[in-house]
Amino acid sequence: MQQFTVHRIGPEIKIAGIDLSFTNASLFMVISASIILLFLFLGSKEKKIIPDKIQLITEMFYSFVAKMISDTAGTKAKPFFPFIFSLFMFVLICNMVGMLPYSFTVTSHIIVTLVMALFIFVAVTIIGFLKHGFKYLSIFVPSGVPAVLLPLITIIEIISYLSRPVSLSVRLFANMMAGHTMLKVFGGFVVSLGILGGWLPLSFSVALTGLEILVAFLQAYVFAILTCIYLNDALNLHH
Amino acid sequence: MKSFLGLLIALVAINTNLYSAEAGMPQLDPTYWASQAFWLILVFTILYIAISKFYLPKIKDNLDNRENKIKEDLDNANIFKEQSEAKAKEYDAILENAKKEVSRIHFDSKNILDKNIQSKKVAMEKEIEKEILKAQKEILDLKKNSISSIQTISGSIVSNIIENILGDKLNESSIKATVDDISKKNINKYL
Repeated sequence: MQQFTVHRIGPEIKIAGIDLSFTNASLFMVISASIILLFLFLGSKEKKIIPDKIQLITEMFYSFVAKMISDTAGTKAKPFFPFIFSLFMFVLICNMVGMLPYSFTVTSHIIVTLVMALFIFVAVTIIGFLKHGFKYLSIFVPSGVPAVLLPLITIIEIISYLSRPVSLSVRLFANMMAGHTMLKVFGGFVVSLGILGGWLPLSFSVALTGLEILVAFLQAYVFAILTCIYLNDALNLHH
Repeated sequence: MKSFLGLLIALVAINTNLYSAEAGMPQLDPTYWASQAFWLILVFTILYIAISKFYLPKIKDNLDNRENKIKEDLDNANIFKEQSEAKAKEYDAILENAKKEVSRIHFDSKNILDKNIQSKKVAMEKEIEKEILKAQKEILDLKKNSISSIQTISGSIVSNIIENILGDKLNESSIKATVDDISKKNINKYL
């Protein structure tokens, strides 16, 4: 599990007794953000009517996220488009950078995904209360439920609502960690079985790398779309 | 082969530190949690601001521009199409007018020509008639004149014939009277 260890790079920074040192995790966050910014810079540098390749990819990402938001959360979610777009790009590029050998996967750390999920949870709750006031609490009381079941359903709804940040963060973290651990285990098999028996786990490793790239994209998509769905619940109260 | 394999394993073991740090999940070690959260918030905030303030408006502008350009081009194409259709109609109308003009000119000139010919014909006919009348009068005059000449000639012929046959000269006036009498009887046959 050496690939998941966080170690300090450079001097130790302590503010009010809290260690905020620059670590390899921070480094890869900066690298991922830089890649996104460079990519967007190159993609929006020239405003061509007929786009070149990188501009086309940038615009595809843009329309992809725009379509995702309008499909799940409707037009009311338009002000949150930059946030969802940044979130999707950040998670996606962090996952993809993590696929490079010897790199560090930022999203394989529960604290990172938890911070993001908690932020989304708190923000969505605040938006819900700002938009609907105390009527937002009706999200816990689904309509058309028999009165006998209502207390039970309400409790279940509250638990499911409160477990959103946990499920959102653990889903991403566990997926990324599991994938990388599995790759490491198969890599270890290749080494321990040597040149005679190592070919089978090696081929598995290759296949799993492909799968992991798919998972990296998929988890970024799931993270973004779940954010959209939570946002939709807060914006369009339809229970 | 064996030594190579051993070297490879050793290298991998050193490089990836394969057999160390196996204890537990580093994710659950809280030493750098605060640091990670801090840097995540910092980096993500910068990323969000950069994306929302600079890049997304640019990309949106570009997409809108393209859409507008396509719409504009389509509109222009429609306008040009309408214009060309109008021009084609105009052309047809001009052609139609020209055809009408041509037939009118054709008709007019034909009429003028006809009139011209008619008037010339009438004038010609009048002239011919005049000529004919003149000729008839001349013929009539000639005829009338010829009667007296014929009478004189026939009187002299008769006196000559009588002189030759009888060897004797008759009275000129009696011969003349006889010829006149005969010619008067028969003149109506020739006039």
